[in-house]
Amino acid sequence: MSYNLKALLLVSLIISSQIIAQSSIISGKVVDTKGVSVAGANVYLQGTYDGSTTDEIGNFSFKTSETGTQTLLVSYISYETFTMVGDIKFMKDLIVKLREDVNTLDAVVLSAGTFQAGDNSKVNVLKPLDVVTTASALGDFVGALQTLPGTTTVAEDGRLFVRGGEADETQIFIDGIRVFTPYTPTTNNSPTRGRYSPFLFDGITFSTGGYSAEYGQALSSVLLLNTIDEPDQDKTDIGIMSLGATLGNTQRWNNSSLSVNGSYINLAPYNEVFPSRNNWIKPFEVFSGEAVYRKKYDSGLLKLYTAYDNTNFELIQEDINQPEGIRFKLKNNNLYFNGSYQGALNETWNVFGGLSYTLGNNDLKITDMVINDNETGIHAKLKFKKRFSNRFKLNFGTEYLASHFEENFSDTNPNQEIYGYNNNIAAAFVEADIFLSKEIAFKIGLRTDYSELFQSFNVAPRLSLAYKTSKSSQLSLAYGNFFQNPSSDILKFNQDLRAQNTSHYILNYQYNAERKIFRAEAYYKDYKHLVKYDTEYAQFDSNYNSSGYGFAQGIDLFWRDSKSIKNVDYWVSYSLLDTKRDYRNYPLEAQPNFANTHNLSIVGKYWINEWRSQVGFSYAFASGRTYTNPNIEGFLNEKTKAYNSLSVNWAYLISPQKILYASVNNVLGFKNINGYQYANTANPGGIFERRALQPAADQFFFVGFFWTISEDKKSNQLDKL
Amino acid sequence: MQKLVIILVAFVMSSISAQSNYEKGMQKAFELWGSNDPAEASNMFERIANAEPDNWLPAYYAAQVNIVNSFGLKDEEKLTAQLKKAQDLINDATAISKNNPEILVLQALLYTAWVASDGATYGMTMSPKVEAIYAQAEQIAPENPRVVYCKAEWGIGGAKYFGQDTKPFCKDLERALDLFANFKPESPFHPNWGKERVEMLLESCKE
Repeated sequence: MSYNLKALLLVSLIISSQIIAQSSIISGKVVDTKGVSVAGANVYLQGTYDGSTTDEIGNFSFKTSETGTQTLLVSYISYETFTMVGDIKFMKDLIVKLREDVNTLDAVVLSAGTFQAGDNSKVNVLKPLDVVTTASALGDFVGALQTLPGTTTVAEDGRLFVRGGEADETQIFIDGIRVFTPYTPTTNNSPTRGRYSPFLFDGITFSTGGYSAEYGQALSSVLLLNTIDEPDQDKTDIGIMSLGATLGNTQRWNNSSLSVNGSYINLAPYNEVFPSRNNWIKPFEVFSGEAVYRKKYDSGLLKLYTAYDNTNFELIQEDINQPEGIRFKLKNNNLYFNGSYQGALNETWNVFGGLSYTLGNNDLKITDMVINDNETGIHAKLKFKKRFSNRFKLNFGTEYLASHFEENFSDTNPNQEIYGYNNNIAAAFVEADIFLSKEIAFKIGLRTDYSELFQSFNVAPRLSLAYKTSKSSQLSLAYGNFFQNPSSDILKFNQDLRAQNTSHYILNYQYNAERKIFRAEAYYKDYKHLVKYDTEYAQFDSNYNSSGYGFAQGIDLFWRDSKSIKNVDYWVSYSLLDTKRDYRNYPLEAQPNFANTHNLSIVGKYWINEWRSQVGFSYAFASGRTYTNPNIEGFLNEKTKAYNSLSVNWAYLISPQKILYASVNNVLGFKNINGYQYANTANPGGIFERRALQPAADQFFFVGFFWTISEDKKSNQLDKL
Repeated sequence: MQKLVIILVAFVMSSISAQSNYEKGMQKAFELWGSNDPAEASNMFERIANAEPDNWLPAYYAAQVNIVNSFGLKDEEKLTAQLKKAQDLINDATAISKNNPEILVLQALLYTAWVASDGATYGMTMSPKVEAIYAQAEQIAPENPRVVYCKAEWGIGGAKYFGQDTKPFCKDLERALDLFANFKPESPFHPNWGKERVEMLLESCKE
């Protein structure tokens, strides 16, 4: 070795030992914003191995050989990571204050008016499975939501009536995009079902008031359904039921997947075994098919959803004025397409774009009247989200809703009538989420709608705030102003009206701890500009105006406990509703016939491990509904007796991939009456006779066998039942 | 010439010291974990992950510490926070090394931890995910002993639940044991755990 090289080595050794000798100590204490010390926090210099963990009293101290300007990081679960850039010389006896991360689970939630069903969120009142394991729901998401407070029991209709609102005041969205015709048509004494199978959705948000500025054209409520982002595996699902059959298949590729699902329902065999009150000529029959395609990109997700269904039936409906009954025939075709893309533009910007197209067609024959209607709907939405920090986020966007309706009417009169309308609405919205701390949060938004039909602008402010009162409870307030154009059964005859309007005022208390949830909500709703007309039914020659008004106020209570009793999960909902309105053909302000004052729902589920079975029940009580008795003075002057129904179900896992499921609705056979139809003319004794409006059948039986074929031989359809 | 040597020596020295820093750090972290200080071990692994942005191992172990530590944890809030953190770390590791069977196994274990914490809530939704991940891992690395044994252990859990025979899985466990005998980790710090667990599981096979 040459002298030079030896010298070099020596020098380098000196240099390196000097580095060690130069090592300095970084020390300090970590506390939270209230000055309480934080133990277990990770303290280190970015990009180096030098660091330490704070002790029980939040102190830290470590050596480093780094020099000059460095970045000190302090991180701990549920706090925002603290960053400090500076010269190491000054990193001594530091006091590091960690700010709480408002994104964590125990942070306050803007929840007034909203129920969520999903996976990992604490505010969920329903789990995805509940849609399908609730005894009375029969696999219908709308049926499951009817066990929540804020809904009223309109048993013969089946749609969602929220807080004194009519069914069409609730709008349904799939992946953020409007569904124009969400329900399958049925006879006037059987409840309808949601058109879309719960098989393809994994997140449901049901808002009974005070919702975000992103959603408009809904006076009372919005229901948001999200399709599954990514299916788990390839599989085939087969279902054989007392009502028909279903077949589904899912295929997965690298970054994309396709699910298709078809079903056929025919009530004819069922009606043979269990005769109903209906006099069928052609029993209820539905063909339906759905498909979802998903494609993942580096920073985005594309979803295409399409559904088609065809419903038909023919029967003779009882009628007190027509002893021979009314012959009613219906054919409905419905096509729905929905495409959306959601992705990140960069770290803080997100974009969402979506488009839906609906084509609905009804062919109706009522005695000798022939009615054919066509409805097309288009909804386009573009939305951006900017995250300034975890504490301040801004959402803004624009949307366009176009609907076209046309009806052909003919009867014995040779002249055919054609009428309809275009109802196009452009809207823009902006909304900010502001977290002042983990305890206080605001959402403030503004929405403006422009109606081409009425050539008018409406501006709707929205505000909600939430304050955490303790570790597991919070108080929320919400206010919102909502506009909605009148429905098609009015607009098809008259377009010289204005948008209907409500204001919501909501006060909410929520307690949430270890699989127990309690919610209490008080609300007041003020209705304005509802449609009025001067004939018994809305028709051609009626005189229409927008002078209707009304109010709804009440209290909703919800309690769910899946902890206290082993293997038992139950929830109780109670709603008190006080509402009156003067609209449509009402001569005065009255409680409408779809509003019950008291609604109670109790759902229980018990998992029996040894039997690999889940048994459940669901009980519903609703106080009487109003009707007009022409034999005495007044309007909507009497009430039906109360509604009662107890349903039970049983799901049995035969093997990991085979399930037997059975349910009975109204197992005790209560004879419920939904209202009365009175004769148009009095009998010779001067009395108007009446007919009770009863359901098509008091009870309903369901038996199904479900078989899943997948590679792993383990998955099953239990999550769909 | 002399300049070149200086540069060379400096280079070798720095690379030696970086290497040893990593080794020292990893060793220290494993020691902490071994001496029953999982919080400190997790922090240490995280610091190393931060200093070695191209190495998936420290994030992998930080996630593993949090997952293993979560089994049997009663405090729901703590459990949730810990598993979410583990998921973030797995995401970091996956970003560095895609389609890595070791990380896939860890992801499956994370989902298993959710199921174990609350079967009623997570069982139905997470079980198919676990299945799918093991299927994917097996396709990539059919000879990886952890893939084979973790899949078998998951299968045993399911079979027990449905009152089915667990014996068919014993064959897989024996195969895993053979695979462990021949398994050579890429480096001293690459995953090499699980043999003891398989031996333990095989004990119950003999009963």
